[in-house]
Amino acid sequence: MRIRLMKPWLFIMPALLIYLTVIFVPSLYTLYLSFFNWNGVAPTKQFVGFRNYADLIFRDSVFLKALANNILWTIGSLTIIMGIGLMLALLLNKKIKGRIVFRGIFYFPFVLSGVIVATIWTWMYNPMQGFVNKLLESIGLENWALAWLAEPKIALYAVFVAAIWHGVGQPLVLFLAGLQTIPQDPYEAAVIDGAKPYQMFWNISLPLLRETFVIVVAITMVSSMKVYDIVYAMTGGGPAESTHVLASWMYFQTFKFANIGIGSAISMFLIFITMIVIIPYVYYTTKKSHV
Amino acid sequence: MIGMLRYALLTILAVVFLIPIVFIAFTSLKSNADLLTNPFYALPEKFEWGNYAKAWEQGRLSMYMKNTALIAFIKVPLGILIEAFAAYALTRMVFKGSNLMFAFFLVGMMVPMQATLVPLNIFLNNTGLVNTYPGIILVYIGFGVPFGILILRGFFRTIPKEIDEAALIDGCGDVGKFFRIILPLSMPAIATLFIFDFMATWNEFLLAQIFITSDSMRTITTGLLAFRGEHSTNYTLLNAGVLISVVPILLVYLAFQKYFVSGLAGSVKG
Repeated sequence: MRIRLMKPWLFIMPALLIYLTVIFVPSLYTLYLSFFNWNGVAPTKQFVGFRNYADLIFRDSVFLKALANNILWTIGSLTIIMGIGLMLALLLNKKIKGRIVFRGIFYFPFVLSGVIVATIWTWMYNPMQGFVNKLLESIGLENWALAWLAEPKIALYAVFVAAIWHGVGQPLVLFLAGLQTIPQDPYEAAVIDGAKPYQMFWNISLPLLRETFVIVVAITMVSSMKVYDIVYAMTGGGPAESTHVLASWMYFQTFKFANIGIGSAISMFLIFITMIVIIPYVYYTTKKSHV
Repeated sequence: MIGMLRYALLTILAVVFLIPIVFIAFTSLKSNADLLTNPFYALPEKFEWGNYAKAWEQGRLSMYMKNTALIAFIKVPLGILIEAFAAYALTRMVFKGSNLMFAFFLVGMMVPMQATLVPLNIFLNNTGLVNTYPGIILVYIGFGVPFGILILRGFFRTIPKEIDEAALIDGCGDVGKFFRIILPLSMPAIATLFIFDFMATWNEFLLAQIFITSDSMRTITTGLLAFRGEHSTNYTLLNAGVLISVVPILLVYLAFQKYFVSGLAGSVKG
């Protein structure tokens, strides 16, 4: 009897132990560290309560800039990346010739690492030899040529363009999968009733894509809060700290400036914001699956 | 008419999407003199394949790729096995709190890696695992657990329970059932997870950046960044290096495109 009760735990144990070691216990310890002032090597940590959090909000202008950048990034992803993804999915949701090739082209950048995408686009933006400035020059707009990644007001948008190229494939594939689950009957009925294509999109496709929208919005928001690789590898948070996001600022505070407490507090903000997105999502999906 | 418009739009967008790849390919095949004097859209005067040989040797890219492949080929199967064991218990062995256990694993998907870095660094330092492959593999497996269990549990649930009873009558224990029935039946899900996990491991940057400190052990992401730093002004060589690191991904992508697409679409249906 005892062995039978133990058995499931024997199967779960390896996953559980590694999960506790790598994710669960460390994140609790990070929560603990966020209440201390510590440089990572000193034998004693100084308890400071919520001061790290307060310092971030009231004294750290880069933190606020990074938070604003994350919000801007999220808005851009939810409108531009999701919008282009949906548009491409609608264009590809017909049995047309070369459909697989088109899908392959739009989706391919998504399987590249952020570092590769960043390196490719840093070259595209190269002030002297890069594609962007060369193209502007060749069509007579050389006044528009800029050092794209060196302008504090523009750099973040330049990085975001690279992120569009990188990320459009994900919503595209998800929307395409969603569109393919919609049955043909409502469209046929609508055609008989004389509906226009945009009416069919608005009144049939969009409502029936609600499930897919929930998924895409949740994934997009969470990955926008976590964005790191592409920013770090394109600008390193510069110029003049203008392109920092929470994840990159956390890295700098922790591993460059040895402000462990501050860095830990930033990660707690990250967890907190992510939870605000995920908890309603999990609640929504689990409630659905029981019905 | 609408069909034509659709094609025109798709073609224009496809061309725009291909520009960055074509541009690095052109640059990588030019000589430095050609790059400076001829227009950016021109084909290379002479194809400088030598750039690739140089980038391959000087950039130590081959070493970085070998390192990454080693890590991924250990991490991915081992991780899937561990996740499959857990998913088996969660779907095939009824026990108190199994749903709670599943929810507990899912919480891990909420935690950004950043929130674990300092404690993990302390842990790896204390156990002597920092800057070792066992160390990074352990960490990678840990971060793969929630997603892997989500996918495999979802698939295992679709395998009918009658099979369990048949196996029981045939005298199959849980271990036998796991290896001889559930795993073989789950091959489609496992293949998808394998490809997905492999790419995620291949592309991982943050953890590799922090937990692998010596150059000879670097993976391809951090290695490419180092390569970029060393050759930041030799554009032709740099772009040859970038293309070299794109090619293996392109090949895997072309071979397994089906899995990438179904994996992404399937992962969220759960």
